[in-house]
Amino acid sequence: MNPLSQAIISGLISGTIYALIATGLIIAFQTTRIVNLAHGETYAIAGLVTAALAHAGTPLIVALLAGIVAATIFSMLIEIVLLRPRADWPVSSLILVSLAVAFLSRGALQLAFGTDAASFKRLFVGAPLRIGGGVIPLQGLWLIGIGLSAAFAVTQLLAHTRIGRQLQATAENPDAAQLLGVNVHLTRTFAFALAGLLGGLSALLLVPLVSVDYQAGLGMTLRGFIAASLAGMSPVGAILGGLGLGLAEALVTTFLGALAQDPVIFAVLIAVALWQSRHIRFGGSLRA
Amino acid sequence: MIRAAVLLGLLLSSSAFAAEPWKIGIIAPTTGPVSTVGTRQLSAVLWWAQDVNAKGGIHGRNIDIIHCNDEASPEKSVACTRDLIDRGVVLLLNASITGPILAAIPLLQNGPVMVTPSPNVMPQAASYVFQTSPSDLEMTKTIAAYVKASGAKEIAMIAATDASGEVGAANAAAVFPKEGIAYKLARIDLRSSDASIQLANVAESDAPLIYSNYSGGGAATVVKSYANFGLQQPFLVSYANISDSFINLIKDDMPKRLLSVGLKAVAADLVDDPAERAHLEYFAKSYQAWKHEPIDHLSILGLTMADFAAAVLENVADPSKSADVRGYVETHPIPSAGMLRFSAATHIGLSAESIAVLEYKRDHWAKAGPLK
Repeated sequence: MNPLSQAIISGLISGTIYALIATGLIIAFQTTRIVNLAHGETYAIAGLVTAALAHAGTPLIVALLAGIVAATIFSMLIEIVLLRPRADWPVSSLILVSLAVAFLSRGALQLAFGTDAASFKRLFVGAPLRIGGGVIPLQGLWLIGIGLSAAFAVTQLLAHTRIGRQLQATAENPDAAQLLGVNVHLTRTFAFALAGLLGGLSALLLVPLVSVDYQAGLGMTLRGFIAASLAGMSPVGAILGGLGLGLAEALVTTFLGALAQDPVIFAVLIAVALWQSRHIRFGGSLRA
Repeated sequence: MIRAAVLLGLLLSSSAFAAEPWKIGIIAPTTGPVSTVGTRQLSAVLWWAQDVNAKGGIHGRNIDIIHCNDEASPEKSVACTRDLIDRGVVLLLNASITGPILAAIPLLQNGPVMVTPSPNVMPQAASYVFQTSPSDLEMTKTIAAYVKASGAKEIAMIAATDASGEVGAANAAAVFPKEGIAYKLARIDLRSSDASIQLANVAESDAPLIYSNYSGGGAATVVKSYANFGLQQPFLVSYANISDSFINLIKDDMPKRLLSVGLKAVAADLVDDPAERAHLEYFAKSYQAWKHEPIDHLSILGLTMADFAAAVLENVADPSKSADVRGYVETHPIPSAGMLRFSAATHIGLSAESIAVLEYKRDHWAKAGPLK
């Protein structure tokens, strides 16, 4: 095997997942200005619900749909039940509320599904492909294809459709958007539903290759947030941010070792944050 | 009247004293990445307590198990140890993993006696710490002997970046080269969800055996990545992964040959001693009736701690005197899953004779056949 090729393949797989999570975070951020720290829970919920149902004998396709629906509903409930009634609260308080939701969700998942990791069968079964001295499972290939397509489709939805323009209008000035006939509440709920859908999709694509447990959510949120920050909280940049993060993690692990992964990634995050704050200080338009 | 009241008072106080339970502390991670390790061992200890209590306790005193969840964190392990000592436990059982256990040891300079089955913990003979498994070094030697006996000369190894992985990596370096076995080692972060890179680094030479020293449910990551690669070599998992929950987790990606190095007690046909066999059979049957789940290797590790505690409570006049407990344990073998033999020279209870390379065949663990 060629370690460089394998690092690129592994980086693309994890990077695609980070891109999906980052896109969901950014959509919610754009409509509410809140970094939803409970977003990664959609990944854990979809993975655990699907695994539990599949383990109980439910047909895989039904279990997958149930998982993605559960993640979507969870995300919508965050907006409807927790954020909407507190719309007048400071953004920083609402971010803390979302963090509380993440911990609450973690506890609820532990009670519901136990502490053991879980997984389920691959959707795409077949011999792994060998590319340039690296190996990629069929599920991994589809993961990259479906994941990047979904993330790209969302950027197109935001840029070229009526609902996309409503989302952007809500993000920029909710009062003005409402005056122009945009249902701000519905638009925000739609944004959170879409974010939940992407979080759930990422679990359905990745969990068969790895495993998931009740505490997987916050880790995913953190990775998604780093990718989103690298992208300057722009949906178009989320794909590049996610892939960049995934590739960086994989290359660092391959050539510097697993112990170097966190220090290098967080050093990059700090550097990006400093660079972005420089733009804010001098009147630039970027704001992470 | 006054005499009657005094007599009644004395009777009440003596019966209250007689009913005072033995306080046994247990530190077990029941949440976090190695929760399976803690949960299964804790269940075995709780089974023991209810079994003893149902029979009237030890010397008429019930067992009171006080659990503290350290979440496999060294900081929380220290807090748990302090709390349990403050609560007056006579013995401390530790079902956690290497780092948290090592963090607790400095607090036990004056007791109480602590017992753990973690093979990575090498207690000093002058300490109050006892270990009920063979050491990781013995296990590494067992793996080396198995590989050599199969005529192989290479191992691909993956170890975590935590304290357990450090011990595993150090023992591999001490044993494999000396035995003429070439090995390639890659480290993996405990939170990692993919081991492809590590496998790419170590398995490229088609080593005849892949050894994952990684403990806990996260080790499934390595098995999954192994399956993603379509690898075919026998795959050897760590001592802490011989559990039903781990098998359940990897059942869709089961390696063609899943091996481990573990206590012979987990494979019924490897237990020769009739008393030990009867003890294990009773444990398996009673535990199943109580918990409605079968025992596994982790349960047996929990049983070794329970047997240690039972021997101490039954035979040491005052178990709160740590020096007396140490003196007793160092001079009296304790029957359990194998005979625990401690001495003033070693606080490691089992030797290499009590372990074997095992293979998962038809839903149970049995002695492994040679590598092909």
